[in-house]
Amino acid sequence: MPSETPLLEPIRPRHSYHLIDEGQIQTLSNGTLEILAETGVHCPSEKCLQIYADHGAQVDFNSQIVRLTPDLVHTYLKNAPRYYTMGARSQAHDLHLEQGGLYCATDGCGVETIDFASRERRASCKADVGIMARVSDALPSIGFYWPIVSAADHPSTAPLHELEASFNNTVKHIQSETVMGEPLGRYAAEMARVIAGDEETLRSRPPLSLLVCCIAPLGQDKEGMESALLFAEAGLPVGFMSMANLGSTGPATLAGTVVAGDVEIVSALVLIQMAYPGAPVFHSFMPGIMHPRTGAYLGTSLEGSLLYPIGVEMAHHWGVPTLAGVFGTDGQVPGWQSAAEAAASLMLCALAGAETGSGLGLVESCTLLYPEAVVLDNDVYQRVRREVESLDTSKEALALDVIKEVGPRGLFLKHRHTRDHLRERTFSGLTTQPNPAGGKMDPVEVARGVVDALIANHYPQPLENSKQTELTRILETADREIGAAP
Amino acid sequence: MSSQHPPLEPLRPTYRLQYLTDKQLQQLQQATLDILENVGVRFPSEEAMEVLDGHGAKVDKSTEIVKFPPEMVFKALKSMPRYFKLGARVPEYDLQLQDGTSYFTTDGCGVQVIDPETGQERASRKSDVAMMAHIIDALPAVAFYWPMVSAQDYGRTAILHEIDASWNNTVKHVQSETIMGKRECEFALEMATVIAGSKEALQARPPLSLVVCTIAPLVQDQPGIEGAMVMAAAGIPVGFLAMPTLGTTAPATQAGALAMGDAEVISACVLMQLVAPGAPVFHSLMQAWADPRTGGYISYPRDARGRYGVVEMAHHWGMPSLGACYGTDSLEAGTWQSAAEPALDPFLAGLTSPEIVTGMGLARTYTRLYPEQIIMDEDLYQRARAYLQRLEVNDETLALEAVKAVGPGGHFLTQKHTRKHMRTSLVRGITHELDENNKFREPREVARERVRWILENHQPEPLEQAKQNELTRILAAADKELG
Repeated sequence: MPSETPLLEPIRPRHSYHLIDEGQIQTLSNGTLEILAETGVHCPSEKCLQIYADHGAQVDFNSQIVRLTPDLVHTYLKNAPRYYTMGARSQAHDLHLEQGGLYCATDGCGVETIDFASRERRASCKADVGIMARVSDALPSIGFYWPIVSAADHPSTAPLHELEASFNNTVKHIQSETVMGEPLGRYAAEMARVIAGDEETLRSRPPLSLLVCCIAPLGQDKEGMESALLFAEAGLPVGFMSMANLGSTGPATLAGTVVAGDVEIVSALVLIQMAYPGAPVFHSFMPGIMHPRTGAYLGTSLEGSLLYPIGVEMAHHWGVPTLAGVFGTDGQVPGWQSAAEAAASLMLCALAGAETGSGLGLVESCTLLYPEAVVLDNDVYQRVRREVESLDTSKEALALDVIKEVGPRGLFLKHRHTRDHLRERTFSGLTTQPNPAGGKMDPVEVARGVVDALIANHYPQPLENSKQTELTRILETADREIGAAP
Repeated sequence: MSSQHPPLEPLRPTYRLQYLTDKQLQQLQQATLDILENVGVRFPSEEAMEVLDGHGAKVDKSTEIVKFPPEMVFKALKSMPRYFKLGARVPEYDLQLQDGTSYFTTDGCGVQVIDPETGQERASRKSDVAMMAHIIDALPAVAFYWPMVSAQDYGRTAILHEIDASWNNTVKHVQSETIMGKRECEFALEMATVIAGSKEALQARPPLSLVVCTIAPLVQDQPGIEGAMVMAAAGIPVGFLAMPTLGTTAPATQAGALAMGDAEVISACVLMQLVAPGAPVFHSLMQAWADPRTGGYISYPRDARGRYGVVEMAHHWGMPSLGACYGTDSLEAGTWQSAAEPALDPFLAGLTSPEIVTGMGLARTYTRLYPEQIIMDEDLYQRARAYLQRLEVNDETLALEAVKAVGPGGHFLTQKHTRKHMRTSLVRGITHELDENNKFREPREVARERVRWILENHQPEPLEQAKQNELTRILAAADKELG
């Protein structure tokens, strides 16, 4: 008997705010348009360059620089849908972006794992992707799954093995951030087609989407763009992420980095709309700030976290959904720093109206998997989810009759109203566990226990046998074509 | 030689959020008035009952329960000032309460200390109050000081020794949450007058303010309320703090707990205005939850909605709010829990803009002091301060010329624009500090180092010798009379 996958619990804020005003958004987007028209972006794909050229962009095939006029940008972005559905294996877990609320994914794609049993640090593998898909399947805070680490034991076709491990271990939507290049893209789309079952479902409830990273400054990745085109052709949502690093691959000011990153994303969104008008796309801005001594990308510095909600605002300005930057600590272990950094970007992006965000569960700047981190992040998520809801001031909640009955110096403990409502109060399962030796248990230890229990017990509805077989067949073909299986 | 005074860094949000709707605020206020009129609040003080009786309240002296007609409440509260000043030893640190500015303080009043030398837990003492006053004197995030722990080595006059240790180690405003009782307040008032220099200066720039806890449900504390009357009459700002616990001393629904706690606070504020019309008062309400298994006090459930709605309730009454931040239930500093719980507090507080906010630096639900925790909580504060600022968008920050100069595939490292702005772009707190191997240091270690640095290098401006002597004389008299 398979385990039940709990219904999703997106963050649905009752309030909203705008971190930047309309005038500032206009100034920033005008900056984007100016750079697109005058400086352009580098696109090292003949196929993409041809599409740009065929649709009126100014293309220099020698330098591979594409320039887009504001008119072209507006004309093609008009075709992009503002909302769409991201399908899941189980229809109850589809993500309906038009319904409002923020759905979050796990983080990805880490390269090392703290081993589930030995707690030794080692290279990540396909089994980790599958195990964490099962853990994520059980957490209502995880709206969709990013293969959380790399299937490094399948070097050439790792992205496809990550998808197979994911589809086999969760009923939720899968978003890959590693399928790059034409052959991989073709096989991934084929796998999605198997999961969807038919062409109509593939397009109306696509079970797979793709995130492609741009290359800062102002560059696109050939493989990424070509797999994005394949995904878009199949009706699968594709998004583009800028990870400009303020100070090295972006200007040393926040606004400048917003513009430079936005240029990369918008140029890619325009390409997809030129090739496949109406294709579902999304915008993702996750810049860092350069560490002045090492040049490292810092995702969670004090001021830098402001960039994520501003990315949300920019996405909405261009009329597309966003994948916002949430969680993703620079801390090296799950602890004070990971908690200090996690909540604010999630809250800021939720209040700004982000539709999707990534991601929970990794430390060391999105590279290292601690199995318990996703459970700790889930706790932070649930706190934020409650914080942004409104207060109930109904007659029952105001409880005036109860207060009158109890009166000064009384006790509410035995009142029926207390019995009815105390159970509704949600306490953290991590911070309130009594320790048999007295006091409370360490929440990190509790989280480890939660993960162990989920790994041992949570087995979601399996993929139908015929589909499993089909995925295996596709993988074998891909392994043969692209690289030898280990 | 004393150190310079770093300018304060209050939260000044560039955008705000209305958490409760106008209708909800109205509903909650009506509920408070209903409770005040029909249930009443117990005032176990002859003196307080006399005053209230004389102004139209329905007083039952046998039960000590006082009921307040709504018109009496509104009439009394009319004299309440919306804003006032909290004075400091030096005018640069005076806090003029105003719309859109939140000044933060430390937490208090803990009873355990993890000794910075031995790492062992022990009972708190006066020297700890002094040490923490010394540390916060250097922190721009901390605008005023709650004596963080109890001067337990001074028995009954601990509360006066706490303010003595505070004024001797920080030039910032001191707010006590422990001074209770008429005589105790008279001694404290005498000490505050010494600090201010005169009675007039005391009223214009009071260097001391007081927080008095009410007792849920719907009871005032006798020493608390009688002491508050002394303070209010002298012009010392007084605030009332309700701490209803959902499920035991308050209804298990948040709105009910808020209305009930509000009734406790408002009843005390009404009394203060009757005793001293125009007395500066403030409102504070910190709800907690009963652990359903043990009845224990939980400061942070997962669902802490309403924590900041109370700020709007205070403003709806027309008075400043003492907002509640921090106070983790974690037993230790520097843990995942000690950040997960309060991480959003200063940001959410900033969005509703309480005028004053407590309190940084204690663990184990406001009872245990780890000296380094103040630095870690300050880091969360500085994050919030950054989030509440508006993005600067102008020609210089847009950097279009730099982007054009670099173009696709280049890098910004050699740009003049980068050299100009890079130093200010990465705002780091205690994270992202490198060790000798270029690995990030453990934030708690960085915090400990910062504490040591402050204690060794920051010298708060000493209190004038004559004033030190005067405080000592008053303390000796108090010890003799009360101790």
